Amino acid sequence: MNRTARRITLNEWDRRYAELCAAGLREPDYGGPLRRHVDDGDLRLLKLRMDDSAASLRLWNFLLTEEERLHRARAEGKRIVGVMKDLGTVPVMAYALPECVAFYPDGAWWIPCVMERSAGLLDVADSLGIDDSFCPVRAMLGAFVNEAHFPIPEMLTCSVGATCDDVSAIAQRIEALGFPILWWEIPHRRRPDPEEAAVELPGEFRAPQSQVALVRSELQRVGRALEALTGQRLTQRRLSAGIARANRVRRCLAEIRRLAFTASACPLPALEMLIAEMLAIHFCSDQQEAICVLEELLEEVRHRVDAGTGVLPTDAAGVFWVNPVADLRVMNLLEDAGGRVCGTDYLFCHALDPIPEDLPPMEALARTALADPMVGSSADRAGRICEDVRRFGAEAVVISHVPGASHCAMEGAVIGEIVRTRLGIPVLEIEVPPITDSMEPTLRTRLEALVETVVNRRRR
Amino acid sequence: MTTVAYSSPFVPAEWIAAHGLRPSRLQLRPARCEPAAGVVREVCPYTRAFVGAVLSGPASLAVVMTTTCDQMRHAAELIERRADQPVFLLNVPSTWQTAAAGELYLEELRRLGRFLVQLGGTAPSPGDLANVMLAYESARTSLQDARESMSARQFAEAVGAIDGCQGPSRSWKTAPPGRAGLDVPAFQEPHPSGWGYRPTRQRGPAHGQAARPAAGGIPLGLVGGPLLMSDCAMLDLIEQAGGRVVLDATESGERTMPGAFDRRAIRDDPLQALADAYFGTIPDVWRRPNDGFYEWLGHELRARQVRGVLLRRYIWCDLWHAELHRLREWSPFPVLDLDACHDENGSPGRTAGRIEAFLEMLA
Repeated sequence: MNRTARRITLNEWDRRYAELCAAGLREPDYGGPLRRHVDDGDLRLLKLRMDDSAASLRLWNFLLTEEERLHRARAEGKRIVGVMKDLGTVPVMAYALPECVAFYPDGAWWIPCVMERSAGLLDVADSLGIDDSFCPVRAMLGAFVNEAHFPIPEMLTCSVGATCDDVSAIAQRIEALGFPILWWEIPHRRRPDPEEAAVELPGEFRAPQSQVALVRSELQRVGRALEALTGQRLTQRRLSAGIARANRVRRCLAEIRRLAFTASACPLPALEMLIAEMLAIHFCSDQQEAICVLEELLEEVRHRVDAGTGVLPTDAAGVFWVNPVADLRVMNLLEDAGGRVCGTDYLFCHALDPIPEDLPPMEALARTALADPMVGSSADRAGRICEDVRRFGAEAVVISHVPGASHCAMEGAVIGEIVRTRLGIPVLEIEVPPITDSMEPTLRTRLEALVETVVNRRRR
Repeated sequence: MTTVAYSSPFVPAEWIAAHGLRPSRLQLRPARCEPAAGVVREVCPYTRAFVGAVLSGPASLAVVMTTTCDQMRHAAELIERRADQPVFLLNVPSTWQTAAAGELYLEELRRLGRFLVQLGGTAPSPGDLANVMLAYESARTSLQDARESMSARQFAEAVGAIDGCQGPSRSWKTAPPGRAGLDVPAFQEPHPSGWGYRPTRQRGPAHGQAARPAAGGIPLGLVGGPLLMSDCAMLDLIEQAGGRVVLDATESGERTMPGAFDRRAIRDDPLQALADAYFGTIPDVWRRPNDGFYEWLGHELRARQVRGVLLRRYIWCDLWHAELHRLREWSPFPVLDLDACHDENGSPGRTAGRIEAFLEMLA
């Protein structure tokens, strides 16, 4: 562990893997060289620079073997639940039940990037009239139709109401193709009226008690459906235990984030941080293993911080990143341009906040679901971004638009306005399609300009 | 200034009017992209026009918007930050199959009522509300009765006039507003095989009797989201090309007229009757699931002997765009996609050419 941490290419990873094996690397059953994923079609790995630690190797392997894990779960007779849109709540309920596995079909939105469109999912979506005016989540439709990726779940849920139209419309098409969906309501989170009973939510938001009660009743409806599917009771005890396990993931991530965003030398690249954060949503289809993966990653990060080593220059410009990128390579681009990620809002901050354990579990989950940054106002979201920018010391904000996404057309204006007014730091808006190769020079130039701006501001 | 502007058919004009204020569902002209307003790109022309109208048009007392479309939900916040008048965002549930969804809508109407009182409105008595509701219903019924004698443009403008500032007092209104329980159509029970929220209002010419296609015109159904004022030219184009819109199922047309008010409920609890009629009977594609829309549309297309369907949709409107392919597969009649962005100089010619070709194919 005394070696210098680096971001390395796949070719370099071939050598690095041999080194690690020679040094006695012990891997879980899904382990192995990253090269094999390229052979399976994950071509984007050839264009990425990845962290060179054994912990990151495990993280990548865990991510890239999820489909196999789901198929194995199906073969073992486990119940598979496809959870759409809510990003972090229903999986906690599903994993509270024995022999139940939950995953997000929406996660297929990264397949066109990872497989560099070779899977043809967007072409399938095109053929069904869902063209590139929709968000890349349309890949999910292709995955349901060609059944070449995840197994078709025995139960599908989708939160609707204050959600983006893209997912809602595409999920409706999926249902019309013969995949029944349990729709549940998540209302637009509004400010409580002056005399109205209100409650605190994770993330320091507030909501009317009546809205929490509605969401609680909706989650109870989902819970009854899960019980019917599995033949198991979703007792308070099971739910509480499930929440405690989810919180273990969240606490681990919170510490990784704190260290990665605030250490003077960045201990973990933005790409691996993005993947690690994603594990909070549905644990990559194995909750217990997700905890192990993150704990090993945390250990590596702590070691690097203690040793004062990092993967980027210590003067890298600290950037707060808003929205996930459809092309993972863009996280490399930021670092190549001289930046580092110091804080994120990848649309699922509510999946990172601890779920209250001092409340009845369904009430706690309802409050967590209502804390979703997407169901509230962009101003609420901007407020949290500002707090996190201060907390992590970010020097600029990048708002990364998801092409075609209904929320992206206007939220950038509100978030950017609030950030500039309250913090006076530069804000850059970019758009990231699933493959950015053709526009890489433009993106690189814009990110370099942002970094130069940050550096110039330091000199003032 | 007592005008309360609103955007969606799920905002009951009756509820605003009963508070002594003037409801006005904005009739919009296409607006150019306005970066200063924060509407940058990938915004549907209707949302852009709405934002533009509120920010640059004559000020109203307040603006009421809904959550039925995500872009409009976000636009509400944008307007709130940039406009002087207060904005009320009405939470309309996407789901409809639970009692909780209906209760949420009813509670939202009560919240809207408190907002209207804060603006200077007066909370109506149940009797006053019932009278306003019946006046609107009577106007809508009269308009439907007159439907066959009107051009598509006239009908669209007449619907807009009821929803707009003029309210229910127009010349097509042949009968005076009835009193609760009198001289109005009977309440229908929900359809036994339907989606549970089957429209309770009898729709269509002569209250559900099969319409006679007008001589010389190919009967068409027009489906889609809200129309802009400039779309009236498209309605003229359809008729000039030999078509006749016998079903205006756009958001600006008869599809979004609420069903008949429950005669018992309107006596006992008119606000509940209002909520049931609006939330419980208006079919739309954004509802989840939205099978009710297809059920209603199928019934109406057959009843009116439609031979072709026109889908009017805006670029960047995911909700309607996503339904195009499904509609084509579902419809027993040919479907023509009329996409519009309202930024193209050549758009009118393109639309005209497509309509003409479609009607030639149907002739």
